[in-house]
Amino acid sequence: MLVMDAVRWRLVGLGLVGALLAAWASYGPFLWATCCHETVTAQNQVWLLASQLAWVGLLLVTYARDPAGPMWKLVLAYLAARGAWAIGYISSDATLWDVAWTVEQQLFRWAYGAVLVHVALAFPTGRLRTRFDRIFVRFVYAYVLGLSAIHALFFDSLQTGSIPPVRNVLVVWPNNELASNIEQVAFFGVPILAAITLWRLGRRWKVATPAGRRALGPVVVALPVSLTILSLDRVADASNQMWIVDAIDNLGILQLHGLILPGGFLLGTLRTRLARGSIADLAVELRAGIPVGGLQPVLRRVLRDRTLELAFPAPDGDGFVRVDGRPFEPSALGGNRVTTTLRRGNEALALLAHDADLEAEDPELIRAVGSMAELALANERLSAQVRAQLAEVRASRARIVEAADAERRRIERDLHDGAQQRLLALATRLQTAKATAQGAGDLVDEATTELEAAVSEVRELARGLHPQILTDLGLGPALEALAERAAIPVEVRAPDRRYPVAVETAAYFLVSEALTNVARHAEATGAVVTVSHQDDRLTVEIADDGSGGADVRRGTGLRGLVDRVAASGGSLTIDSQLGKGTAVRAAFPL
Amino acid sequence: MSDRRPISVVLADDALLLREALAGALSAAGFSILGQAAEPNRLLELVDRHRPDVVVLDVRMPPTHTTEGLEAAGRIRRSHPTIGILVLSQYVETRYAVDLVRANPAGIGYLLKERVSRVEQLADAVRRVDAGETVIDPEVVGRLLGRPRAHSPLDELTPREREVLAHMAEGRSNGGIAELLVLDAKTVEGHVSRIFAKLMLEPATEDHRRVLAVLTYLRGK
Repeated sequence: MLVMDAVRWRLVGLGLVGALLAAWASYGPFLWATCCHETVTAQNQVWLLASQLAWVGLLLVTYARDPAGPMWKLVLAYLAARGAWAIGYISSDATLWDVAWTVEQQLFRWAYGAVLVHVALAFPTGRLRTRFDRIFVRFVYAYVLGLSAIHALFFDSLQTGSIPPVRNVLVVWPNNELASNIEQVAFFGVPILAAITLWRLGRRWKVATPAGRRALGPVVVALPVSLTILSLDRVADASNQMWIVDAIDNLGILQLHGLILPGGFLLGTLRTRLARGSIADLAVELRAGIPVGGLQPVLRRVLRDRTLELAFPAPDGDGFVRVDGRPFEPSALGGNRVTTTLRRGNEALALLAHDADLEAEDPELIRAVGSMAELALANERLSAQVRAQLAEVRASRARIVEAADAERRRIERDLHDGAQQRLLALATRLQTAKATAQGAGDLVDEATTELEAAVSEVRELARGLHPQILTDLGLGPALEALAERAAIPVEVRAPDRRYPVAVETAAYFLVSEALTNVARHAEATGAVVTVSHQDDRLTVEIADDGSGGADVRRGTGLRGLVDRVAASGGSLTIDSQLGKGTAVRAAFPL
Repeated sequence: MSDRRPISVVLADDALLLREALAGALSAAGFSILGQAAEPNRLLELVDRHRPDVVVLDVRMPPTHTTEGLEAAGRIRRSHPTIGILVLSQYVETRYAVDLVRANPAGIGYLLKERVSRVEQLADAVRRVDAGETVIDPEVVGRLLGRPRAHSPLDELTPREREVLAHMAEGRSNGGIAELLVLDAKTVEGHVSRIFAKLMLEPATEDHRRVLAVLTYLRGK
């Protein structure tokens, strides 16, 4: 049993109404014996029927896409307005028919043109976007309906001798010459309104996002083509260039032309509808498993929006972060982009920044994608939050190291300029006193020796905290000085130039600690320190000819090096095969 | 040194306590202190005004407490080439000392600050600088000589020759070395020429040229 839901029933009903309107528009006139004018043959009307059925197709598709939206109502209005033409062929003596004929033929005969402008500018959502468009469409309605009504006041249909006679019930001052002039004026405005419509459509195309252009494309082609054929036919007709009229007629262009417009709208609508079809692609990708960070490209593909971006609530609940942990600023979105929050229950799962047309075209699509990818989104959110926290921890670790380095420099200064000066002053005074206080000489000498030892200790302590030569002369000379005090021969190859303070400090202490390690564990007879830089990174290598076999997991020496380098945003590799020496290589970003 | 006129000195050090102590010690040792400064600009002013025989200055001075002393020394060198300069430093790093004496080693000295507690060593350095000699602190020289080297002609030197080399690096003349090591001048000359031969250095006759040759050799790889 096929279960039909309300929407499907309404679709069937709408299809029937549409088919009836189409049939009425094309074959209604044949219901009367007086029909028809020689050009209105059953054969010719096939094309009108085809065109109208194409509009019915558009009606059903737009209804299925967005039953709550206004688009399908506009299409229905067009079909109804177009059907009004057939009433012109009615033949009856009843007064009621006179009223019906007047309303349809005199008031609404040209209304379908206004509806067409409305449909073209509101496509594909059925909503007009700009103030200008809203005012313009209202004006077109007023122009068409207003001039028709004014015309009706003067047009005496009985004077035209139409068979059968039909009475315009609205005529107040019968004056067919004036009525004809009014008609002329009305027609004069049509090309201008058509041009404005094309201009607005062109503008929409210009500012449209890729998703918007996909829908708008067929319409942007169809409307000018249709208008060109129509105006060519009319102009040729008016200027008696019958060969053009014949050519258009014989080639079937005029007949086919009725299909161009509904075809364009239908294709445009279906192209947005294709997006929903691609939800199946998402299902396939989700089943295959999406690696962390891979959801954004998948969603871009599935939703056909190359500008789409995915962000997640920040771990501290303030703002949003991307999957790689970098902050995301929704207010910085440009162009025709909006955000949609995807939720699981009350909890915000992710923020989708996307083409505004995406939502306008198909409001359900994003929600459907969101609920389908819920698990993958939750995964990525977790990853994004962890990465954001990691970035924060990295930054704070770098800050701690920086603060520690600054603190070392401060203590070094205090030792040099404070304690050392005091001790020295004291020692000097003692020596001066020795010259006057005889006998106390030996005691004073001893005290001086003690003080000198203290001064030396302070000096070395200060130096260990922060070598002044690093601040004064940079990495190369500082490493050279380090090599001079090393326990084994150390060769330094370093360019004589300055680097950022943080990098120089990190590199210096890396070499210092590495050389201490070499002296302590490597049983080496020599080491080479090489400093080089390429573009944006400084590379430091400490290679010894010792026993090798060093392991980061054992002992804290190497672990400390790894931490130091990582804190400066650098990376460290250790190459240490048994019997082949150890090479510690670090790269620091400049 | 033979004339009885006391050597005149201008002192610069931003640590008041130490500066006063130094002034006291140098006065007691028979030097005439013409002025004291706490920072480089004041020092240059005093030097211009008093034209002392020797300037004794700290390597660290305001405003940045890095190498203002070295810069001030350079400026005094250029404006008053005959004034002896003795830089007192907290840094054993050899680069500072070598950089200081490189341009013109005559009458310039680099002494570690802790020497000031031994007034006789400080006084000796001031006198040598005044006499146009070069003074390099023994500990700085020790660092240069003591640096571990893989294969070096230095290994060929006898202990005595190493001692002589160290004193040469400190800036001492043959006479000075002979006096210190209680040797006669001829013997010292013999050592010196053997050292130069072993290290394959061009013999230098002038004492301060010799210092530079030795320091450069020791600083080299």
